[in-house]
Amino acid sequence: MLLEAHAVSKSFGDFFAVRDANLSVGEGEIVGLIGPNGAGKSTFFNCLAGDAVPTSGKIIFDGQDMTNAPPEAHARLGIGRTFQVPATFEGMSVIDNVMVGAFLRHTHQGDARDHASRIIELTGLKAQMDLAAHSLGTPGRKRLEIARVLATNPRLMLLDESLAGLTPTELQEAIRLVRKIHEMGITIVIVEHIMEVIMTLAGRVLAFNQGHVIASGRPEDVVKDEAVIEAYLGRGSHRVRRRSA
Amino acid sequence: MNKIPALSPTVLLAVALLIYPLIFSGAFYLDVGVTFLLAAISASAWNIVGGYAGQVSVGHAMFFGLGAYAPLLCYKLYGWTPMAGIPFGIAASVALAILIGIPTFRLTGHYFSMATIAVAELIRIYFGTWDLVGAAIGMQGPATARGWWDLTFRSELPYYYIFLTVLAVLLSFTYLMERHRFGYYLRAIKAGERAARSLGVPVQQTKIRALVLSAVFTSVAGSLYSVKTGFIDPESGFGILVSVQMVIIAALGGAGRLYGPLIGALILIPLQTATNTWFGGGGTGLTFILYGGIIVLIARYEPGGIYDLWEQISPRLWRRKHAS
Amino acid sequence: MLLLQVIVGGLLLGAIYALFSSGLTLIWGMMNFINFAHGEFVMLGMYVSLLVVMYLGGGPAAFGFGAAFALFVLGVVVYLSLIRYVLRGPMLAQILSTFGLALLLRYTAFWIFSANFVSLPQTSLSGTINVGGILMPIPQLVAGVIAILLTIGLHLMLTRTTIGSQLLAVSEDRGAAMLMGIKPDRMQALAWGLSAGAAGIAGALMAIAYPWSPSVGETFGLTAFVVVALGGFGSVPGALFAGLIVGLIQALSAFWFGPIYKDIVVYALFVALLWLRPQGLMGKA
Repeated sequence: MLLEAHAVSKSFGDFFAVRDANLSVGEGEIVGLIGPNGAGKSTFFNCLAGDAVPTSGKIIFDGQDMTNAPPEAHARLGIGRTFQVPATFEGMSVIDNVMVGAFLRHTHQGDARDHASRIIELTGLKAQMDLAAHSLGTPGRKRLEIARVLATNPRLMLLDESLAGLTPTELQEAIRLVRKIHEMGITIVIVEHIMEVIMTLAGRVLAFNQGHVIASGRPEDVVKDEAVIEAYLGRGSHRVRRRSA
Repeated sequence: MNKIPALSPTVLLAVALLIYPLIFSGAFYLDVGVTFLLAAISASAWNIVGGYAGQVSVGHAMFFGLGAYAPLLCYKLYGWTPMAGIPFGIAASVALAILIGIPTFRLTGHYFSMATIAVAELIRIYFGTWDLVGAAIGMQGPATARGWWDLTFRSELPYYYIFLTVLAVLLSFTYLMERHRFGYYLRAIKAGERAARSLGVPVQQTKIRALVLSAVFTSVAGSLYSVKTGFIDPESGFGILVSVQMVIIAALGGAGRLYGPLIGALILIPLQTATNTWFGGGGTGLTFILYGGIIVLIARYEPGGIYDLWEQISPRLWRRKHAS
Repeated sequence: MLLLQVIVGGLLLGAIYALFSSGLTLIWGMMNFINFAHGEFVMLGMYVSLLVVMYLGGGPAAFGFGAAFALFVLGVVVYLSLIRYVLRGPMLAQILSTFGLALLLRYTAFWIFSANFVSLPQTSLSGTINVGGILMPIPQLVAGVIAILLTIGLHLMLTRTTIGSQLLAVSEDRGAAMLMGIKPDRMQALAWGLSAGAAGIAGALMAIAYPWSPSVGETFGLTAFVVVALGGFGSVPGALFAGLIVGLIQALSAFWFGPIYKDIVVYALFVALLWLRPQGLMGKA
């Protein structure tokens, strides 16, 4: 098991955003997290990434207890993440953005630049290499974020809705990119709303609602799960579906 | 047709600064030149932590003042040549930087800025009561030189070239820093701390290092000031004008840019000299009103300063030039 | 006895600190923004009071309202013309904006009013009263008591009235507030008006009891930082307690160590706070 979360809860005052969430991700898997808005998947995601400290529970990466570790430690140990709203370094060029990631593993400017260039080629950003990050559209920024994280040589990548808001063509390209990253041996946990992405990429899925994990298993099974349908469409909707089938 | 090779702006700048005193050799022009260099050094020092890292210190005078007092204190207490006091100023500034940086860089940016004002004021008031350093009256350096090492010169010319050397060292350091991992990390922190942390940037450590580096150079600037002037008091060392000037010069020219502070000083020092000359004693008050207004305008319309403004305008100028 | 007098005096001044600091903390809690010109707002409140007395011949009520109103308008204008633009921008712009404004206001005041200390001519509130052996100057007493009442009033307004809850809604969750039909921009402008107005009234109260010059703005600004840091991010009750504490500490420091030390101790307290308990008294750990 590369990443494990045991009974993770996160509360803000009296409100529990996440309650008793369990997760185990084996090396080389692609695991998806789904659930309606406010279901707690983003908060859980932030706990995995070290951006939020769980109120209770444990998070273990490659045998190391990461529960209270800051994001910097996560990155050093090989966990990388993207942000739901792209957080690229706007004023810096594309290559400089990626170099910041590369510098984690390469102290020398020359080595970092070489590594960054390779990553940029891999992610298809070569044409925009010297442009400022803010001149890229949202799809470009999302791609840049992925490139930047990739430059840190992660073993595990946490993708936070990195494929949202893309045109069908862009979406196919993005899915290809995620597959390529997976083929490089990187384990992936992906939060997504777009069902096509989950069904195509994820080997396993966890469904969240109101802070709890309500279903987990293969994508095709979870999608048919009654509790999951109820979570998205409301109570009793699973009965409607069965009647019409 | 043969193309004339373009001379790099750096070379042109260096040449201009080197020959300035030879062309403008009068005492007045020399004084303006020396003031300009000192302002450029201070602002470039501030730029490391305030411009590149985006941690806005509005009390940087605390480092300047410590650097300014140290040489004259060593002279007063032990009769040493003032230069010998420079390392002590640096040591005190480094200690202060760490003292402020460690607690405040854990918190949001405002705490750091507030702390810098509070500490600068605290030190200023305290030094005004401390007899050892001359309290409100301050201290003086050697009236006549006991040797060249006292750096007490009649003419300002030697000071000009000493300051120019220090400026060159500082700018070279900044240039190298920009290309080093440290420089990338600073810019990443300024652009987005949260993202920087997620990429493994040791944010707090980096900020503290930036503050320490900035403090070292600011302290040196202060030492240069008191050695040249031969005098220091709480107001000229720790006063708010000192802090404000560093910030406005860097911000006006372009915070976070290598030549930003230089450009800012090029504009502001002659301007300041002019207002002081025209309005005499009341000039300082008017200078502040002007500074306040300029700072607000920069904040509102062009936080990137003249550098950014130029980058936005020049493509359009080029297009028009080529169209005709 | 003398010590008790010093303590009471400190608390009364601290009450005024609490009033203007609650304005600062309101903005901080709502927009995560520190107004470096807040001390100058207080200073301007004092000068508005002077002008009202000199040119309109008004009494305490007149210049109190005058200062409150003038500063309320200034606060709204500052927000609409400057703050709301820099809020979207880099940190450098945010900090420079009010820092530059502080310089502008302070030195314009120096220019217009000169650096001399002034005080209000004798008003109906003068003299001292003897309460259980403690001699309290009536101006200080009235100013302090009114300041406490106004601070409590501000807190009640924020927590008990509709408009107060709208203001708090915007500070908690802009997006949600917008969905409920609350206009964040309008609320933020109102908050700036209230914040500046609080500073203005505090200035008027201060003017009743103490002499001043344009230089006091800088000191009040720093004092407000300390009070706000001590009281906790965005907490008006916190600002009330912290204000009283700071006033007390200041008075005792001046009494025991000498008048020079009253500011030094407060600034040193701030640094100590940053090291030991940055979330303040009422903040969450």
